[in-house]
Amino acid sequence: MEKAKISAYQLFVLIVLFELGSALLLPLAIEAKQDAWLAILIGMAGGCCLFFIYYGLYHYYPDILPTEYTQKIIGKFLGRILSFLYILYFMYLAARVLRDFGEMLLIFAYSETPLFVTNSLLIIVIIYTVRKGIEVLARTGELLFVFIGLLAVSGFLLITLSGVIQVTNLQPVLENGMLPVVKTAITQTLYIPFGEIIVFAMIIPYLNRPEKLKRTGLYALGVSGFSLALVMAMNISVLGVSLTARSQFPLLSTIQTIQVEQFLERLDVYFMLTLVIGGFFKIAVFSYAAVTGAANLFNVKEPSRLVYPIGVVILLISMIIASSFSEHIEEGVKVIPLYVHLPFQIIIPTLLLFAAYLKNRNKNLN
Amino acid sequence: MRSIFKRNKKKSSSKDRQEDSQGQSKQPINASLSANLDVIKQKTGNSSDIVFRTLKMGRHSEIKAAVVYVKGMVDSQAIHDFLIESMMNNRDLHEKLIREKTMAVITEEVVAFGGIKPVSGLDELLSSLMSGETAILVDGISEALIASTRAGDKRSIQEPTTQLAIRGSKESFIESSETNIAMVRRIINNPNLWVESMKLGKVTKTDVSIMYVNGIAKDEIIKEVRQRLKKINLDGILESGYIEQLIEDQTMTTFPTLYHTERPDVVAGNLLEGRVAIFVNGTPFVLLAPAVFIQFFQSVDDYYARFDIATAIRFLRIFTFFISILGPAVYIAATTFHQEMIPTGLLIIVAAQRESVPFPAFVEAVIMEIIFEILREAGVRMPKAIGSTISIVGALVIGQAAVQAGIVSPAMVIIVSITAIANFATPSVAIAISARLIRFLFMVSAATFGFYGIILALIVLTVHLCSLRSFGIPYMSPLAPFIPTNAGDTIVRKPWWMFKERPRLMAAGNNVRSGENQQPQPPEDREIKMNAGKGERNES
Repeated sequence: MEKAKISAYQLFVLIVLFELGSALLLPLAIEAKQDAWLAILIGMAGGCCLFFIYYGLYHYYPDILPTEYTQKIIGKFLGRILSFLYILYFMYLAARVLRDFGEMLLIFAYSETPLFVTNSLLIIVIIYTVRKGIEVLARTGELLFVFIGLLAVSGFLLITLSGVIQVTNLQPVLENGMLPVVKTAITQTLYIPFGEIIVFAMIIPYLNRPEKLKRTGLYALGVSGFSLALVMAMNISVLGVSLTARSQFPLLSTIQTIQVEQFLERLDVYFMLTLVIGGFFKIAVFSYAAVTGAANLFNVKEPSRLVYPIGVVILLISMIIASSFSEHIEEGVKVIPLYVHLPFQIIIPTLLLFAAYLKNRNKNLN
Repeated sequence: MRSIFKRNKKKSSSKDRQEDSQGQSKQPINASLSANLDVIKQKTGNSSDIVFRTLKMGRHSEIKAAVVYVKGMVDSQAIHDFLIESMMNNRDLHEKLIREKTMAVITEEVVAFGGIKPVSGLDELLSSLMSGETAILVDGISEALIASTRAGDKRSIQEPTTQLAIRGSKESFIESSETNIAMVRRIINNPNLWVESMKLGKVTKTDVSIMYVNGIAKDEIIKEVRQRLKKINLDGILESGYIEQLIEDQTMTTFPTLYHTERPDVVAGNLLEGRVAIFVNGTPFVLLAPAVFIQFFQSVDDYYARFDIATAIRFLRIFTFFISILGPAVYIAATTFHQEMIPTGLLIIVAAQRESVPFPAFVEAVIMEIIFEILREAGVRMPKAIGSTISIVGALVIGQAAVQAGIVSPAMVIIVSITAIANFATPSVAIAISARLIRFLFMVSAATFGFYGIILALIVLTVHLCSLRSFGIPYMSPLAPFIPTNAGDTIVRKPWWMFKERPRLMAAGNNVRSGENQQPQPPEDREIKMNAGKGERNES
């Protein structure tokens, strides 16, 4: 663990930027059709429950990283293996987001550029950032958060001024009842993006005022959930359900409809700013978690040295993870949530929390 | 106040003594006057500007004495009136002096000077001599007196030349740090304004003083400044820039992490915020530490003007900073990679202009930027009489002729000019220069990856700025880390009656800046009074 402290506000900003990261750009929860926003909100509620699991674990071991307390809960050997798996999990997720990001950039603007180039550029920036430590990452977040906020407000204004919002597209609400909505929430939005907050288990020990964690985390989840729901509702109300579902990047299509006075139009740069800044934060947080976890697990004195190899490995994983973008998306929707996210985000933490509870109860009895 | 000065002087002189004793074996002052004078002559290589005035004092003019000083560095009128004259005329001195054999007699009865002190070491005598003080030696006494007669020609106080302000004091610092310190003291009339002095530079022995308001500046920061200054071991300190480069936190950056100013009111304002000022003799530029990013966008006018005006101007400045970094880069990216983002009408105009230009936008931009930088550099050092030539050559040849010849497009000229003017709108030259450098990096990244490159470069810039520290204070504070109570003096400038706190990271303990209820509250019954006045007039 590096000697660093972040404030509650910084944690809030990091969580929001992380949650919005790539989820803002994708057709999130579109299986729920016009009720996608509702599915997102349900997913958010589930995310809050998951947050309480991680919070519970933090509560038992507030000063040490998960890579350390797993060893205390289930023993040195098993704990180390589990921690190692988690580090791999974070690296894999970083690679997934990086791949998402690179493919989006290629489709959207740089069709002639090789994927490897766009990805390696971003990973270089991330290596530079992660090497500076969590404090710098958090401070950068504070500045860019304001920037993204300004972008969002001006974007909303422009879309409203363009007069393309048709609220009728959102109706009828709950056409097929609650079931499809809940199903979408449980199979998708719960894991991406809300369950991914598990990565913050590696970051919350740096919080300078632990008593503020619960409120900060819930606020951050709430803000990001409502923003995502709002953006998705806006996408659907502008584009309609079928176009949103077919579009690879509904937000981009929405932004492209902006047309104010024949002058303010084609503001694709809005999308690109959101894409790059969001992707940057998401990958940076995952990489940071992987680096600090690995340094802690293997007792590396200078964590900043691990940044280079881990960055390169993330870059390589992002290249070999799938042979095409559709394969990548297919994996992300069908395989990953069930076989990777479910155990890593829900099952293992719940079991750990239970074990920790038993262990600490015994301690108290003695 | 005087006591503070005295104490500090003592401190610094004792430090000198230590340094000297470390450097070479301490040579005492001889009892024989002629031997002493010979040694001084020998040590100074018979320099012709050192004046040895030998005289005799006492009733029968038996005691030989000498007054030694450096021509041009002393107040020779004062030496004549208060030293030589009184020494020669005081006829009662003889017996006492013979009896006691100490300089104390002279101090007490002869010399009509304020600052005077006895020394016993020759090296100390020499160093005082070289800094403009006068040495008095008497035959038979192995001690010397040092009278502080420092004077000499200095520039008069003039208007600032690099930090102009529409409103506010018209004074600017001069080259003498004593005068500069006094100028700040004239603004903050408070015994808590403390000054510490030291001599830096093995050869130059430059006077360097640090100044802070005791109780407002944080002890850790003062200590850190002191430590970093003491570590300096260079042969010469010719300007505060030397010190700036030797004590900054991060050397691999184009951004200044110390603030320099030539305005006493800026120094006073910053001392009140808890900063430490570093005065260097020989330069009108005073350093302020710690410095934060946003400070370089603050100008004294902001605080003298009303807050709404000041806030609007702050916004403008930050906007111009972005233009001066991003201007050409965005043009390159938009015309090379993202033509679809330019509105059609504008695109047609730009494309028509670029049709005849033989270079890609990047090359065109680099050529123009470099030409502009050459113009600016030439303009800075040009004698005033031929300065206008540069502007004629620049405007006509580069602007008009290059466009007509089809080498650059008019749009490019516009972009480069806007960028240049935006760069000049930044109040601090230090940060404007770093923007000039960074601009080229942004142009390269725009030329290789369009907006993606620009955004990545912006992220790197933000991360870099956030990673900087100045004397332990995060460079982007109070924006990142965000400190709500102090953020009122950043992009916006709160009205004065809302300034409740000093910068939290810098100021110690005494953090409260203003009293309660500072908001102006005109009496509510003003109208009634006016009516009453009218009534009275009517009656009369």
